[in-house]
Amino acid sequence: MNQKIFYTVTAIVMSSVLLLAACAPAATPAPPEAPTAIPTEVPTAVPTEPPTAAPVEVATEVPTTVPTAAGPCLTIGALYGGPITDAGYNEAMHESVMAIKQNIACVEIIEAENVPDEAGATTTMENMIQQGAQMIIATAFNHQYPALTLSQSHPDVIFEHAGGWEMGANFANFFGEPPDAWYLMGVAAGKMTTSNKLGFVAAFPLGWTLTFINAFELGAQSVNPDVQTIVAYTFSWGDRAKEADTTNSLINQGVDVITMHVDSPSTVLSTAESRGVYSIGFQSLAAQQFAPEYWISGTGYTLGDKLTWLASTVIDGTWEPIFLRCGMADGCMAVAPFGAKVPAEVQDYVNQVRADLEAGNIIVFKGPILDQDGNVKVAEGEELTDDMMSSVDWFVKGVVGSPK
Amino acid sequence: MSLLSILGVLSSAIFSGTSLLYTTLGEVIDERSGIVNLGLEGVLLVSAAAGFAVTSWSGNPFLGVFTALLAGGLMNLILGYLVIHRQANQLASGLALMFFGFGLSALIGKSYVGTKINALPRIPLPGLSGLPHLYTSLFSFDLLIYLSIPAAFLVSWLLFRTRWGLSLRAVGENAETAFASGRNPRLIRYQALFIGGLLAGLGAAHLSLAYTMTWTEYMTAGRGFIAVALVIFSKWHPVRAIAGALLFSGAVAFQLLLQSSGVQISPFLLDTIPYLITLLVLIAWGGTRKQSAPASLGRIYYGTE
Repeated sequence: MNQKIFYTVTAIVMSSVLLLAACAPAATPAPPEAPTAIPTEVPTAVPTEPPTAAPVEVATEVPTTVPTAAGPCLTIGALYGGPITDAGYNEAMHESVMAIKQNIACVEIIEAENVPDEAGATTTMENMIQQGAQMIIATAFNHQYPALTLSQSHPDVIFEHAGGWEMGANFANFFGEPPDAWYLMGVAAGKMTTSNKLGFVAAFPLGWTLTFINAFELGAQSVNPDVQTIVAYTFSWGDRAKEADTTNSLINQGVDVITMHVDSPSTVLSTAESRGVYSIGFQSLAAQQFAPEYWISGTGYTLGDKLTWLASTVIDGTWEPIFLRCGMADGCMAVAPFGAKVPAEVQDYVNQVRADLEAGNIIVFKGPILDQDGNVKVAEGEELTDDMMSSVDWFVKGVVGSPK
Repeated sequence: MSLLSILGVLSSAIFSGTSLLYTTLGEVIDERSGIVNLGLEGVLLVSAAAGFAVTSWSGNPFLGVFTALLAGGLMNLILGYLVIHRQANQLASGLALMFFGFGLSALIGKSYVGTKINALPRIPLPGLSGLPHLYTSLFSFDLLIYLSIPAAFLVSWLLFRTRWGLSLRAVGENAETAFASGRNPRLIRYQALFIGGLLAGLGAAHLSLAYTMTWTEYMTAGRGFIAVALVIFSKWHPVRAIAGALLFSGAVAFQLLLQSSGVQISPFLLDTIPYLITLLVLIAWGGTRKQSAPASLGRIYYGTE
């Protein structure tokens, strides 16, 4: 009897250990390379090529000859909420971080993926600081407050968080500005649709998601006044089967262009492809492979240059807490290549709108803007600020669906 | 609401109901032999990850289905060892198996996140070729869908029309009596768990290799538990499980249809419809006099001296 209990307990303990082992964020330090090449130029001279090569190798390579004389010029700890190969947000963030390593060779990067919760983020960041990280790049929504708290107890470490709003003495936020890019995607969708119905698969009715949907619809309306965007929520960032159901449900409503704001676009894109419906990607440019035939275009984060610049200011000691927002013109939001079915005149038109957006000739949320019920949300001559965009709880006229 | 959107609900119910149906069938067999498998969620995840990994590695989805099948069977045998051989508590062992599955599947699938695979090929229903692609694609099913309803009848035949099924049900009702009549309860329970695991593996394969064509951590999102509820819903009968799986996934598709047709009801509320329906049916079933649960469900068989 005792033996039985012993075996049962052992089995449960073993299972838990395996679980914890698999879930624990894998912090793999990248080997330090050529620690002499510290860039001294001004940050604008950083190469502008978006990082496309697979930088994963850097993190997994075991250093054979570690230089003992000089260590890395800067150790950066980067953490992600999900897997860095998700063809979505985490992959885009991972590539942006690895661009630092490509541009500044003496930097050492410690990465941890699959850190979704606050407690895990705190221990992961503490671990990274113990391993010598002087700069932390936290990329998930849930990382903001753990990072802010740690920044107070580690005043000598610089914390950069993606997509938040808090600021501190050694804590700052950076992010791309997707609304412009979403407007552009709307233009492309509005040009391509024949049913005048666009579909948007959203995870949750959050402020930024609603802003993306609004920008998308406004872009589409700018070329096609009758166009509607139909929204349906999956209430999960990663329930793939429900994403497929939702995509199909929208297509069955007559939608002929599908786009999404979920963690990874792969299921939505491949479902749209299997129904023969156009799609537009978001988060990472790697999404195109899932819709080889009916791909229109897509937009994703390419923050590599700005992160390189931030890291270089940390190295030369000029870092200051700035609330960094950068859009398409700064190279922080990239537009994916057009698909084969997009006619040349549509491509030219979209590129023209892109130039106008980058030049500031088009302001996406410039009044007058009406909501679904016809109430004026942004008055004539006013614009929506970043703060307001993050807390939007209404849809512009032309969107079908409930904003809350 | 157009014809397309109504047909769409049916199509979605079939597509996302298939994985539920296979999993429920597996659990019916487990429970008919007297074992509650609360670890299904973990079994599904490990099967889905293993099947996806092999498909991605070999390029052959059928090899992936076969792997998922085996992985499901093996996962269930772990539970078998704990609850049959070691005589551990079924509920605790099931939950431990689930957590084990979370970890193991994350480990197996780690390098396959975001990979593109050759999905299970789809074969359009015959006679629809004249319709536009938008309609035919609704009813372009893969092999696992075509086999799901025959599978339910096959399980029904196995349970109610074969000597093996009779022994299995006897063990589930009363293992001691079954032993006295010359049957080996331990062996039969191992067999039941293995076959149940194979079926759960098929469900997982459909989820990752046919419907979503992707692998992500925790992609089953509670389907293992829904299957446990559907077993009660179907009163431990494989053929009624067809209705249960279709009703649940149909309800999901229906609420999405309401959302996407712009109904002015909070989407949060609409999202709870499938679960509310499940609850209501369970409440309604709870009032019936005839108890159809296997009598020694969840009880440990200590052997007969």
